[in-house]
Amino acid sequence: MTVDELSRIANRLRLDVVETVHAAGDGHPGPCMSIADIMSVLFFDEMKLDPQNPRWNERDRFVLSKGHACPILYAALARKGYFPLEELKGLRSLDSFLQGHPDMNKIPGVDTVSGSLGNGVAIGLGMAQGCKMQGIENYVYVIVGDGEEEEGIIWEAAMAAAKMKAGNLIVFADLNNHQSGGKVTELSSLYPVQDKWEAFHWHVQSIDGHDVAAIKEAIAQAKKLTDRPSLIACKTLKGKNIPYMEDNNAWHKRVPTEEEVELAREALKDKM
Amino acid sequence: MNTKSTREAAMLAITEAARRDDKIVIISPDAVAAARATRFREEFPDRVIEVGIAEQDAVDIAAGLATTGMKPIVVSYAGFLTMRACEMIRTFIAYPGLNVKLIGLNGGMLGGEREGVTHQFYEDVGILRSMPGVKILTPADAQQAYEAAKAMMALEGPAYLRLGSGREPEVFPEGTPYAFGKIREVKRYGDDVAIFASGFIMNRAIEALEQLHAEGVDGTLIDVSTVKPLDSQGVAEVLRRTDCAVAVEDHNIYGGMSSAICEAACHYHPCKVRRLGLMDIYPRSGKAAALLDAYGLAVRDIVDAAKDAMAKE
Repeated sequence: MTVDELSRIANRLRLDVVETVHAAGDGHPGPCMSIADIMSVLFFDEMKLDPQNPRWNERDRFVLSKGHACPILYAALARKGYFPLEELKGLRSLDSFLQGHPDMNKIPGVDTVSGSLGNGVAIGLGMAQGCKMQGIENYVYVIVGDGEEEEGIIWEAAMAAAKMKAGNLIVFADLNNHQSGGKVTELSSLYPVQDKWEAFHWHVQSIDGHDVAAIKEAIAQAKKLTDRPSLIACKTLKGKNIPYMEDNNAWHKRVPTEEEVELAREALKDKM
Repeated sequence: MNTKSTREAAMLAITEAARRDDKIVIISPDAVAAARATRFREEFPDRVIEVGIAEQDAVDIAAGLATTGMKPIVVSYAGFLTMRACEMIRTFIAYPGLNVKLIGLNGGMLGGEREGVTHQFYEDVGILRSMPGVKILTPADAQQAYEAAKAMMALEGPAYLRLGSGREPEVFPEGTPYAFGKIREVKRYGDDVAIFASGFIMNRAIEALEQLHAEGVDGTLIDVSTVKPLDSQGVAEVLRRTDCAVAVEDHNIYGGMSSAICEAACHYHPCKVRRLGLMDIYPRSGKAAALLDAYGLAVRDIVDAAKDAMAKE
């Protein structure tokens, strides 16, 4: 797909998220917007998937470590054809299969449980190793937030992945500098974070996480390495492309009103 | 079977299973030697994933492996596994019901003995019993550890095998039957009282049954080698005969096998059940036998508890 098409899909997913959280009356819209472009490239260009056969063992794997951003994962899965779009409005309700955080057994296309922060890299590493051991030639893609990199297990997994030479593991760090309670730079000494991954012997690239061409190119570079895990550090904007959400942490978890949904439609109408 | 310890016995069964199934892989947070998996690693060098001292990582990696169809076994000390990696077991293995096996070493006060509280683990069974979907196996000697490990490998889904220090006495004769999910009558003199026991304290329970007999009390000793799912119907049948019981385990009295027995008793046959375990305190370092004696798990304690259970209030 072209860069323009993928950018438009990213914005389509953003609007899906706004509409979904509005209809469901619950969810985390802000954290979805910063990863929309990465999601678009992965699900609509890069990953080897079969929506008709979600458990096809040769497929690429995806781990949304920052599982609270699941509205955009569910939107991507629906638009890929894993389930009907109208199911999205059931998000977080008792009679829907769309759980508050990703569930691998209830939701077609979801490869693991996620949502308890910090665990995605280790789980992705296990997937990468499991595929490698079975001779499956594929990639495991993980998206981690920056806030969750405060969790110790991220670095346990980083250490193990380098030792295990996990060349089939590609991790995107969504560096939007926000977490639930405020700015990452105020709550921790995580930054500069790229240096830390390099110190753990990962291959590190730094890009603009909203530049679709850069995302594609970074994946291509990461795939050239067969014996080192890759981190693609993505500078992003929380709430990206929804004007009232941009860099506004109040939208970490908040439900847009009908007027706010309209504002989002207006902002995105020529970009989808 | 020629093994020296419970840990070796269990690992022998794992190794035999691994010869038949190339999906079996061991995840070690620096526990290969402790789990007696050195020979497994020699035989299957590519099927041991060493992650360093990082139990949480080990459990999550196992979860990821299991999603691809591999059959990972995480080996570690019981507490580091069930406490440090508790949430990972619950959320990423038990909740999705992944086929991951867990082997916990140093189960009980006896397991950690001279190491002290940091390495004695009497909460593991209670912690895991509170998680839906995790099966719990608590063998009583090397032969049973072998059988339990073998049975565990034949199960689908999450399961936990509790092992001890590896120096536990042999208590059951060669050829003693083993069945996952079933209690087993070890010896029955009569129905005056039932003794339910699980794990590596079985030798004391056997002695207590004999002592009771010598003192004119004819009881029944029941081996509870599967704590979850508990054979509740089997327990109920025993309680209907004896109408009183004592439950003995090397675990805190909250959450473990004795709690499970009481839950079954409440439901099927309410009666007096005396419980012997660690009485909700932290013990000290010491030699195994001295520790058990000091903390209320002497043979005499079991005998007295059995008589107390029989006494009308």
